[in-house]
Amino acid sequence: MTLSSIRTGSSRQSRAKRRNRPPGSGAGPLMAAPGLILLTAFLAIPFIGAVVMSFFRIQLGNPRPPRFVGLEQYARLLFDPDISSTFLRSLANNFAFAIVVVPLQTALALGLAILINRKLRGMTVFRTLFFMPLVFPLALVAVIWRLIFARDENGLLNGFLDAISGGAIGPHDWLGDPATALGAIIVMSIWQSVSFQMIILLGALQSVPPELYEAASIDRAGRWSQFIHVTVPGVRNTLIFVTLLTTIFAFRLFDQVYLLDKSASINIEATQTVMFQVITTGYDQNNIGQGSAMAVVFLIIVALIALIQRRLIRQEGGVE
Amino acid sequence: MPSQHAIAGVPSRWLSASALGLATTLLLAGCAGAADPSARVEEGSGTGTITVWALDGQSAENEAIQKIIDGFEKSNGDIEVDMQFIPADQFTTALQTATDEELPDVVEVDGPLIANFAYLGRIAPLDDWVSKETVANQTEAIKGQNTVDGDLYAVGMMNSGLAMWGNKKLLDAAGVEMPSSAAEAWTADEFSEVLDKLAVLDPDGKPFGLAENNGFSTEYGIYAFAPVLWSAGTPLIKDGRAAGALDSETAIEAVETFTSWRDYTDPDTDGAAFQSGRVALNWMGNWLYPAYKEALGDDLVVGPLPDFGEGAKTGSGTIAWGMGGATKNAAAAGALLDYLMSDEVVQEYTAANGAPPATHSALSGSELYGEGKPLAYLSEQLESACPTEDVLAADCVAVSRPITAGYPVVTAEFGKALAAVWGGADASEALAAAARAIDRDFEDNDDYK
Repeated sequence: MTLSSIRTGSSRQSRAKRRNRPPGSGAGPLMAAPGLILLTAFLAIPFIGAVVMSFFRIQLGNPRPPRFVGLEQYARLLFDPDISSTFLRSLANNFAFAIVVVPLQTALALGLAILINRKLRGMTVFRTLFFMPLVFPLALVAVIWRLIFARDENGLLNGFLDAISGGAIGPHDWLGDPATALGAIIVMSIWQSVSFQMIILLGALQSVPPELYEAASIDRAGRWSQFIHVTVPGVRNTLIFVTLLTTIFAFRLFDQVYLLDKSASINIEATQTVMFQVITTGYDQNNIGQGSAMAVVFLIIVALIALIQRRLIRQEGGVE
Repeated sequence: MPSQHAIAGVPSRWLSASALGLATTLLLAGCAGAADPSARVEEGSGTGTITVWALDGQSAENEAIQKIIDGFEKSNGDIEVDMQFIPADQFTTALQTATDEELPDVVEVDGPLIANFAYLGRIAPLDDWVSKETVANQTEAIKGQNTVDGDLYAVGMMNSGLAMWGNKKLLDAAGVEMPSSAAEAWTADEFSEVLDKLAVLDPDGKPFGLAENNGFSTEYGIYAFAPVLWSAGTPLIKDGRAAGALDSETAIEAVETFTSWRDYTDPDTDGAAFQSGRVALNWMGNWLYPAYKEALGDDLVVGPLPDFGEGAKTGSGTIAWGMGGATKNAAAAGALLDYLMSDEVVQEYTAANGAPPATHSALSGSELYGEGKPLAYLSEQLESACPTEDVLAADCVAVSRPITAGYPVVTAEFGKALAAVWGGADASEALAAAARAIDRDFEDNDDYK
């Protein structure tokens, strides 16, 4: 009997033991309980709460009882010209943001990760520098970008363009012009969070066996060919994870818009997102019911997107 | 669904509570609603400990308040004060979600929210608990802000006002003279000409500042620029409806005139356009006077905002002191409020932050405000208070923001519309949409009756 067969034998034994345990002994549910309790408390109940509240007219702290209005909040969301147009506009902004940001940011993160994955002296400094934007609080970042996007010639971006073009390019209102407002938010968001994806991808890159590259170069594969046939397959699962994560972050877009809106005249029509709408409706305008209805509809939309995405790109290995 | 913002605005005990729990609490709290706004108030013994919630503001103000409260404890041996400073961004939510037991006895509230807090039962009328002298000593402008449905809900130590601040050197160079009283205010057309004249001499052609960096969709938007509509002769809300007021022809024209000045306006991203001499004229409130004075010295001149047809107007009103809606110690709370409004205290406090005192007696003793003093114009316009927007007239100047329980929606919608128009949207469409949203909210809530 070899060592491995002993192991197999014992594991077969223990499997048999497990099978022998009478069902309903409660161990499974007990083990799952902490997770389930937390999931229920922080995900299920708030969501059910949101669904319930979306049927009521509720104001925070109002001495009057919430009034049941049935599906009115949903009807308004779909048919009231004012509310539904804002909601659809926000949704469109969300999609526009995600469509640009998800591929761009993932590609950029991969590029950056490859760039800083070299064995060069002082690479730690570069890694730290690239990672820095993520460490800054967004409120601070918003202040800085406000200066960059300022609409007069004192704005950093306008000043820069003016300098390199020798005065040919006049000042532009980056945040106020509907054509560039969302683009400005996109640039700021990517700058701020690309390093997060970069760090994850860097981890994946470092786990690609160097032998594969050696083998590839023996086969006379060029740089590009190595990237396509070794690097990308090597980090495939991580790339999928990063894409999913970026998609979710993209739909959660809120802070950037909210902070810039509170501090400067930004074209809010062109930049508002559903999350922004939910929060401002619920808390700033004290209309919890309408905000809940928006949140519920939005959750359904995002859940659908996540499901479709899961269908389209399957991860290799792991638990199916 | 919860965002950082939402969590930051909610007291910590709510963090663990579920949304469903919130709904249940609201349902239960709903049963406690009562017609008499003072029903939950008890006189108490007039001694013991009272709780006070104050806004966590500038450190100079906090220190001044702490010192004032210490002074009160010393002079009233029987009353102790349990003082809490609450950050500004959490204050409203904390007050909205507090149970009756948690509500403080004395509370600092922001002026425009008083009607909303009164409606929600968060604060109680004061008339029975503060002395007649205290009430009589309050200026009309601050009383206008603090009165809801005929009941006084708060008393104010200070007030605020907007003005046109000028850089005399730059104005003289362009041959422009700053009017010094509301009666002589530039008309909107004259003001456009003034800007034309100043723009010629200004290096970037933008001689005008209005603190665009404060944002228009914030509370600053309605505070600073509702005077545009008032001065044109229309309130924001008329007979409980925004339609016909906020979206009226008068309002649209005024807002269009106002936004036509955008070409002359410095974006003021750094908030120092006026101090650094980049602009010759600046639309701003009294609170920047110390900074302006330091930067410009004797070149600083001050005058009225432009007149859009029905007399120059200014916003007024600011943080005031009220009494918790369910206080069990109203007598002691009233004693503290009386103390807060005494000359000595008001003078000490307004000296700390440079605001115009909101009591007649302290105003006359002020070093900045009053006849012949540096900010005479500001006290003059506060003296001629309308004081609320439903009694606008050509010869009164200071107006309080709309006194309505639906204020959160009014301010949000007005700010949004103004920001949109300033950015290039059509004024009639933006204002009409804002009016529809406000009216829908009012209707949804039975006009907050």
